[in-house]
Amino acid sequence: MTQSPSRTLSGPGLYRRMAGASIVAQLRYPGTFVIQAIGNFVTTLLSFFGIWSLFHRFGSIAGWDIGTVAVLYGLVNVAFAVAETLGRGFEVFGGEYVRTGSFDRLLLRPRSTLLLLLGHELRLRPIGRFLQGLFVLAAGLWLAPHVQWSAALVLPWAIAGGAAMFLGVLIGQAALCFITVEGLEVVNVLTYGGVEAGQYPLTMFGRWLRRFITFVLPLAAVCYYPTLFSLAHPDPLGMPTWVGALSPAAGFAFLGVMILAWNRAVAGYVSSGS
Amino acid sequence: MNLRPYLTAFGLQWKIGLRYRIAVVAGLVAQMWFGAVTLMAYASVYHAAPDVQAPLSLRQAMTYTWIQQSFFTLLPLGCLPAIGDAARTGAIVYDLLRPVDMWNWWLSASLARLLGNAVPRAVLLACLAGPLAMLVGLGAWSLAGPASLISAALALVSIILGALLSATIVMWWNILTARTLSPLGSYAVGTPLAVLLSGMLLPLPLYPDWIRPFLLAQPFAGITDIPIRIYLGTPIPGGAATGLGLQIFWLAALTLLGRLWMRRTVNRLEVQGA
Repeated sequence: MTQSPSRTLSGPGLYRRMAGASIVAQLRYPGTFVIQAIGNFVTTLLSFFGIWSLFHRFGSIAGWDIGTVAVLYGLVNVAFAVAETLGRGFEVFGGEYVRTGSFDRLLLRPRSTLLLLLGHELRLRPIGRFLQGLFVLAAGLWLAPHVQWSAALVLPWAIAGGAAMFLGVLIGQAALCFITVEGLEVVNVLTYGGVEAGQYPLTMFGRWLRRFITFVLPLAAVCYYPTLFSLAHPDPLGMPTWVGALSPAAGFAFLGVMILAWNRAVAGYVSSGS
Repeated sequence: MNLRPYLTAFGLQWKIGLRYRIAVVAGLVAQMWFGAVTLMAYASVYHAAPDVQAPLSLRQAMTYTWIQQSFFTLLPLGCLPAIGDAARTGAIVYDLLRPVDMWNWWLSASLARLLGNAVPRAVLLACLAGPLAMLVGLGAWSLAGPASLISAALALVSIILGALLSATIVMWWNILTARTLSPLGSYAVGTPLAVLLSGMLLPLPLYPDWIRPFLLAQPFAGITDIPIRIYLGTPIPGGAATGLGLQIFWLAALTLLGRLWMRRTVNRLEVQGA
């Protein structure tokens, strides 16, 4: 007795199924969902109020106008919200899959482990951060001088690159769990800490940190340079402006490297025995 | 009054806080990172606007940030995890049956949890940000000493009041958890409030002038902001006495109202399960 081929799902079809189930599950408690989404929105909006207060007191953010800073801030938050929505399975990977041994079950399924973990949960809660980021981004574009029409193409491209980069961080964190079992909170330095660092212009940081968020974690490539390009703002550090139109590709390159690392880690996986 | 049960509750949670040594190190790395990013941002904001007379000097803002980072786990971010679990499983009824004053019982556990998390981190971070930073030549970025011996002594009194105040606010989250039977609401409300209103996000003295009196007068300022102001010797309207007075006022008010609220909640508590 063979199953008819129409009953096997393609990869994208399977993902749609899993994502749909996850959304239905989260909306089962609408009150909790609304409170969490509002909490998320308010938290992130308040953090922009902090930056605005600095601007208000000092007249500029280290020589940058509030519009440019708002665009940076919106960009990094929207990108991170997308990654948070997609990558929940990687965030909880250590505790829920490696420690319990239930990763073995995923290995038995004839689909990529990455796809199955993406389908772990399509998290709706970051919608608060997402909307708030879009809101600040729009305000920034309205306030900033010299907004280029090309921004309509470059900013979505930068958001995609940024989301790919943060997703790469989450996948790398999950790959580390094969060694550490429990998730390492230190990785929060790259996710939440990355958002924190990405919302300020690159020039504000010391050289070691600038190098780190340019060459190790390509944060500047997905936030800072695309923003400069969209606003036709010359780079005080001397990089030509057109770099910003291409640099978001670095986010995808980072994701690619992390996927390679993941595949190597999975190949060396030894179950805890379940 | 027999103090032993309260001391036992305190001792138990204190030990839980100390148990996770790796978490302490991970937290330390994260706090150093956030501290460094924030410090560089402040430094470049201050340097770009040398004429602005800010209520805190750059050195004071840096010290403020370090102390704030080291006491991050002292903030009332949500309910006591043990009470969150108890509310969900219904085990909360055991607490109701104990022949102890429930407010003091939960309060001593909450206070111990906060201190068990915060004290080791604060000591380590103070060593790293203070003497060690001096030794490696980062003196300008380090934690500055107290303004005087008197202000150091007053700040010590003030931080003890601050810890008590924080535990009292955690009690409010505990009651909220007992009422809603889920810890999620307390985190959704508690975390944004605590992070913004305690001065974690931006030192309270740096917010726009019109909002500063309100920020000083609200209860969250008593946790870390008032102790830090006393430590730095920055003026509080009316001097250190106002600061300590505000802390004592909020401690008394939140305890009285909280006990009232707790009695009402316990009287009509409906618990699921056995």
